[in-house]
Amino acid sequence: MAKKLKGPQMILANWLDSGRVVFFTRDGGWSADTSLAAYAEGEALDALLAEAEKSARNNLIVGTELVGATIKNDAAYPAHIKHTVQAKGPSVRPDLGYQVATNWEAA
Amino acid sequence: MYAYDKFDRALTDTRVAEFRDQVERRMKGELSEEEFRPIRLMNGLYLQLHAYMLRVAVPYGTMSGDQMRRLAHIARKYDKGYGHFTTRQNIQFNWPKLSETPDILAELAEVEMHAIQTSGNCIRNVTSDQFAGATADEIADPRPYAELLRQWSSFHPEFSFLPRKFKFAITGADQDRAAVKWHDIGLIVRKNDKGELGFEVLAGGGMGRTPVIGKTIRKFLPEKDLLSYVEAMLRTYNEQGRRDNKYKARIKILIEAMGADEFARQTEAEWERIKDAHIDVPLEEMARIKAFFTPPPLEVLATNVPAINTLAKQNFLFASWLKNNTNAHKVPGYVNVTISLKPHGGIPGDATAEQMDLVAALADAYSQSEIRVSHEQNLILPHVAKRDLPALWTDLDEAGLGTANVGLLTDMIVCPGLDYCALANARSIPIAQAITKRFDDIKRLQDIGPLKVKMSGCINSCGHHHAGHIGILGVDRKGKELYQILLGGSGAEDASKAGILGPGFDEHGIVDALEKIVAVYLGERRDGEEFLATYRRIGADIFKEAIYDAA
Ligand code: SF4
Repeated sequence: MAKKLKGPQMILANWLDSGRVVFFTRDGGWSADTSLAAYAEGEALDALLAEAEKSARNNLIVGTELVGATIKNDAAYPAHIKHTVQAKGPSVRPDLGYQVATNWEAA
Repeated sequence: MYAYDKFDRALTDTRVAEFRDQVERRMKGELSEEEFRPIRLMNGLYLQLHAYMLRVAVPYGTMSGDQMRRLAHIARKYDKGYGHFTTRQNIQFNWPKLSETPDILAELAEVEMHAIQTSGNCIRNVTSDQFAGATADEIADPRPYAELLRQWSSFHPEFSFLPRKFKFAITGADQDRAAVKWHDIGLIVRKNDKGELGFEVLAGGGMGRTPVIGKTIRKFLPEKDLLSYVEAMLRTYNEQGRRDNKYKARIKILIEAMGADEFARQTEAEWERIKDAHIDVPLEEMARIKAFFTPPPLEVLATNVPAINTLAKQNFLFASWLKNNTNAHKVPGYVNVTISLKPHGGIPGDATAEQMDLVAALADAYSQSEIRVSHEQNLILPHVAKRDLPALWTDLDEAGLGTANVGLLTDMIVCPGLDYCALANARSIPIAQAITKRFDDIKRLQDIGPLKVKMSGCINSCGHHHAGHIGILGVDRKGKELYQILLGGSGAEDASKAGILGPGFDEHGIVDALEKIVAVYLGERRDGEEFLATYRRIGADIFKEAIYDAA
């Protein structure tokens, strides 16, 4: 199923308690910083998803979802505006969300 | 205002305790997300784009100063200091933590509020006229009936799992400010030839991907038969509405398929069967509920207040606010004040905790501690003495709540769109901000006159774009946000469905296109003719030419 998705993908989910958006990282954890996110494409996606879902079973995370990624300097950024908004925070409230802490403009 | 009795209280308290236990079990992993999701939704808790979102019901848009203060407190303590008022007259908090929602619900229950049935395929918060009980053009206050429907529909065992969500709206006035024709069931309070109270009953209205204007199912339903009749309607829908396809599951699709006459016939047949089955409440109970909505004892005051006239002459903004943001009250010497939550360049429908506290304090001081939320996402202080208007306006204006644009182009209905909503295709708030900045001049807005612009970030139409004189719909075209324009809709008593003009514009093009549409109207209008009337007279083509051909 996942194999059919085009291009690199990363895994977006929410913390169970805060509901805040996080990405599955290369070292098998979760972070709001997409540049740490693990990404894969094609056949490798199923394995990545399975690994991420293991973590969901630890009951820290809900709603794992594959989302398209754009790769720059070996770091992943959301390809679609919806996931960019999720990663950064509301575009109309620059004072809220991860955009406050991370230097998005540099990305 | 309605006050909970021991049954209401027991119901909400039990629900909070039950949800607290469920949340604890979820946090411990005893409930999976799959098991928990329908439970949290039944308690108004969504997982949205950035975090959880809690939708709190404001029954028929009426609340007290104390309730508003509690909302402010919740925004401050559990959220990020603000809330968003919606087209369902509810409020949404965008950042609550799952583990804290039981505490939020407990704090709400203390002031007789809850989030029950603000999600799910059940009967949602009944919406109503924001001026109910306070307007000069009303046959009767519709809120006692809305309250009766609230009690009847809360945890109704048969109607808790309908094919799809179900929305009622009710008005008691000839002028429809509650968009009743756009609801699953719409009720209009009427009097028959004998002067008895009752309802015109409409059904099958709705927006979304298949916009339909509701049809009259019964011209006059006696007041005492309300519950048995709507029960017959709901049963007909519940049994026959489609469950195989969620896009075809609303009552509007059933009624379109079987025809309004046939739906009415089946409803009447079912009603014949059940109308004497003691579903309707005894007259004493109706009288008990009505007593909570007794109008406040207002002493008649002089209608002409020289201090107001003087200030209006000196201050154009006050004069505009007086003209646009106040309307006639039943009692001479009073008005209803609409507080615009559409500051130019701001976020439509949002209010900070400080603004909520201020509105609560102003309600205590000037409006008998009563506040209303309108489906147009504004707040209303009813029963304000005209002589208090200068002081009230000054306080509002200082807090950024004095925008004099009610009913004008920038008083837009705008859904949260892609900045907050997981279902969105495009952002709507930034477009609203660009539009309200472009049309920032109140003089110009007044010259354009009454104009309802309504915008949704996807086809679900929470922003009522089908009912906008000018509607804007955000779409996603290959990952790009585009905005389509619709013209000629109305959510009022002359309800009509807006038609799409053509291909969408990008975020800059849409503001220019709106400006061109306004220019066509100003060029074409006859004396005193409002936008919608001009559109209905001249049609869409000339507008189309202006926005596409010139490009
Ligand atoms: S109209 Fe669409 S984008 Fe807007 S709030 Fe509703 S579902 Fe979300």
